Amino acid sequence: MRRVFDSQLIGPFAAMLIVALIVALTTDRFLDPGNLSNLSLQVSIVALIAIGSSIVIFAAGIDLSAGSMVALLTMIFAQMLKFAGIPIFVALPAILLVGALLGFGLGIITAYGRIPSFITTLAALIAFRGLALTFNNGSPIFSLDPALETVFYGRLFGLPLPFFYLVFFYAMAAIVMNFSKLGREIYAVGGNPAAAVLTGINVKKVQAITFAIAGFMTAVGAILMSARLNSGSPNYGQTLELQAIAAAVVGGASLAGGRGNVLATLMGAMTIVIVQNGLNLNAAPSSVQNVVLGLIILLAVGIDMWRAEISRFLSRLRGGATKSAR
Amino acid sequence: MSANDSPLWEFVNISKAYPGVLANDKVCIKLMPGSIHGLLGENGCGKSTMIKTLSGVQQPDSGQILHKGKEVRIADPDDARRRGVATVFQEFSIVPTLSVGENIFLGNMPRNRLGLIDWKTVNDASARVLKKLDIELSPETITGSLSVGEQQLVEIAKAVAMDAEMVILDEPTAALGEHEIEQLHVLLRKMRAQGTSILYVSHRLDEVERIVDEVTILRSGKVVRESGETEINVSEIVAAMVGEDVSEHYPKENNSVDDVVFECQNLRTRFGVNGASFDLRKGEVLGLGGVLGSGRTEIAHAIFGVDKLTDGALLLNGKKIEIKNEMQAINAGFALVPENRKYDGLFFNFRASGNITAAALPRIARRGFLDLAAEAKGTERLMNELEISPQAEKKTVNFLSGGNQQKVVIARWLFSEANILIFDEPTQGIDIGAKIAVYKLMNALTRAGKSIILISSDHDELLAMSDRIAVVQHGHINRVVGAGELSHDDLVRASSYGDAGDARPAAAAARIQTNSNESLAAEAIQ
Ligand SMILES: Nc1ncnc2c1ncn2[C@@H]1O[C@H](COP(=O)(O)OP(=O)(O)OP(=O)(O)O)[C@@H](O)[C@H]1O
Ligand SMILES: [Mg+2]
Repeated sequence: MRRVFDSQLIGPFAAMLIVALIVALTTDRFLDPGNLSNLSLQVSIVALIAIGSSIVIFAAGIDLSAGSMVALLTMIFAQMLKFAGIPIFVALPAILLVGALLGFGLGIITAYGRIPSFITTLAALIAFRGLALTFNNGSPIFSLDPALETVFYGRLFGLPLPFFYLVFFYAMAAIVMNFSKLGREIYAVGGNPAAAVLTGINVKKVQAITFAIAGFMTAVGAILMSARLNSGSPNYGQTLELQAIAAAVVGGASLAGGRGNVLATLMGAMTIVIVQNGLNLNAAPSSVQNVVLGLIILLAVGIDMWRAEISRFLSRLRGGATKSAR
Repeated sequence: MSANDSPLWEFVNISKAYPGVLANDKVCIKLMPGSIHGLLGENGCGKSTMIKTLSGVQQPDSGQILHKGKEVRIADPDDARRRGVATVFQEFSIVPTLSVGENIFLGNMPRNRLGLIDWKTVNDASARVLKKLDIELSPETITGSLSVGEQQLVEIAKAVAMDAEMVILDEPTAALGEHEIEQLHVLLRKMRAQGTSILYVSHRLDEVERIVDEVTILRSGKVVRESGETEINVSEIVAAMVGEDVSEHYPKENNSVDDVVFECQNLRTRFGVNGASFDLRKGEVLGLGGVLGSGRTEIAHAIFGVDKLTDGALLLNGKKIEIKNEMQAINAGFALVPENRKYDGLFFNFRASGNITAAALPRIARRGFLDLAAEAKGTERLMNELEISPQAEKKTVNFLSGGNQQKVVIARWLFSEANILIFDEPTQGIDIGAKIAVYKLMNALTRAGKSIILISSDHDELLAMSDRIAVVQHGHINRVVGAGELSHDDLVRASSYGDAGDARPAAAAARIQTNSNESLAAEAIQ
């Protein structure tokens, strides 16, 4: 009933192409292979985190904690590698587990404690950054492990490794959301929680699981962040949660839950990053970039809300055109 | 009846299209002062579309609207109100977090000399309106804590309070019991006597027959029968609506055999079930009769694991069973078609298939992954069997007519292969053709040896379609009698209104509706 490549992808895909076209027209450096490869590195962290943010949104929740959780996890990761002497092949899965557990905890509080996720994760947004500051007297930790950098900068078949992470995790997410029982239950819970309860779906469990997934994907993002800069810092990841949510929204996910396609989120993330890249290449100050990001979000939601009006307007244009032709 | 012969409002060749459908096709209608005008037709024939045009919610594509003979444009709902049109829309428009009084005067708040809201007037005037309707509600109650039926009454009170010349009621009685309907009729007759023009939509034709002076019938957006042509009687109306003669409104088959398959012993919950006991036989339709708030839905919730039992036992095929939540109920073979398919039944983000398989996902899942081919096949079979519109699989179910939506919800429980089905107001708001389809479905189910517990506020339906009827009062079963031994009046008397208020507030409070998805879910799971 839900096809992986359905019509929900067309809009976000078109938006991405249009944005890419505009950027390519304004600067000849955009299509430079170096820039494109840089772009895929740039998009990887936010796009991976956005998988989790989208899934939470599909279940009618919201996750504001991702950015701060990234800071906290990079600090824990750095602590493990630098001061606790834990080898990297142990520290990597450990961080993924910690991320999933933190997310699951937030999910449990939200679902079973009946506190809106906006509040739980807002509290976490504040608290996690505070926690991050308790490590190493609040100072960043540098030069963790030379092997770590290959996690981000390594290449396979000439392509940067983060490209493969994107392919892998988005493929997984698309399979789970479209073909698994859990995916179906997530959409059901987001679409109508009362009906989900009456059809025997364990709504609280499903909600908690979406936050665990979000925590896990945030941990993946945190590892890449650490690897990219070979460090951990309590300042990492600021506004990352908002960029991830923006990616989902630009990808057409409904904040009311139940509607959205995880692959469209990838398009959304790329659209945002391409815009940022275009502004960078045209030497726009970062203040402008934030204003533009805000406008993109408004426009994406606006197009969704005004869909009926837009189609009526277009059909009137067409009707008017045929009339005047006669 | 009518004071003069010129219409108060008139539609001349009004057309209105939505993407893909011509919802109103050159509709003409004359609404006379001092007259109750029935607007009838199948689901999706364009009744609400007409009403939205007259209420200024939308603009017609073409045609004229005449007010007392003069052509007017109704710019928006506020404009309609200023021109003396008050509307109770089919979809609720009350604000659940406000009090009853605030809702009644919403957008129209009386103010004192300082420009502040005049609470005394709000409360006094609301109390007067509520009294007129014989509604025992305090103006200060928070509307969200009321039952669906009571919220509907508040909607009606809101329109009445406007003292409008033209009152439009779009399916005001769908969620009401006999008593409330009677009360509404009394009020409408009073308003008619004072010269108010009333436009009335309902799918409960017996009730329509009693109250309306003239009818207009729509089919696929066109007027197929105009006002004042012939006598108003149900079978003629049905013939005009459906386009063919319908001989039997209640095609009841008796499939009940003597084996008891399920028994409730002395059920009690904190939400208004007070020692309910009854048994259910194989192939039987057991009707639960009673007034609004008597605890029928709450008994369904007690069985289905929605509300925790504080006492009592459930026996399935003679063996005691434990049902702690909805999942266990479904696994034990129970099904619940909930009272309000919009709020509790449908997933509007899914097509038919997602809705139909939702209660039986484990059946189409292998190692956590869904067998989509099996899902498509099962869905297609049921859609054919139940004659669900093929549109249902092309788009999400919010585009379907009420009747098709209800069939989708029922199909869900056929897919889950439930043996004991609880139908809570299964024909609410669906047209006569769809109702008969639901009745035939009930026959097919009982013929296959399944049993049905039927809750219905439509007494004719309840009497005609049940084998036995359990009379519910204050969450307690007073007696169980053969449906044939009971007349309409008996049923009214047996479940007499009295002080049924006892059971109600707790039950209603348990079903507070909020706008937030999360708290809705949380609320429902408790
Ligand atoms: N906002 C809308 N957008 C698109 N189509 C619509 C919209 N509202 C109604 N329709 C379609 O217009 C037709 C008429 O709908 P309408 O709501 O007027 O029917 P109705 O007679 O009130 O039915 P019911 O008895 O179920 O309330 C239907 O086919 C419906 O699907
Ligand atoms: Mg309608």
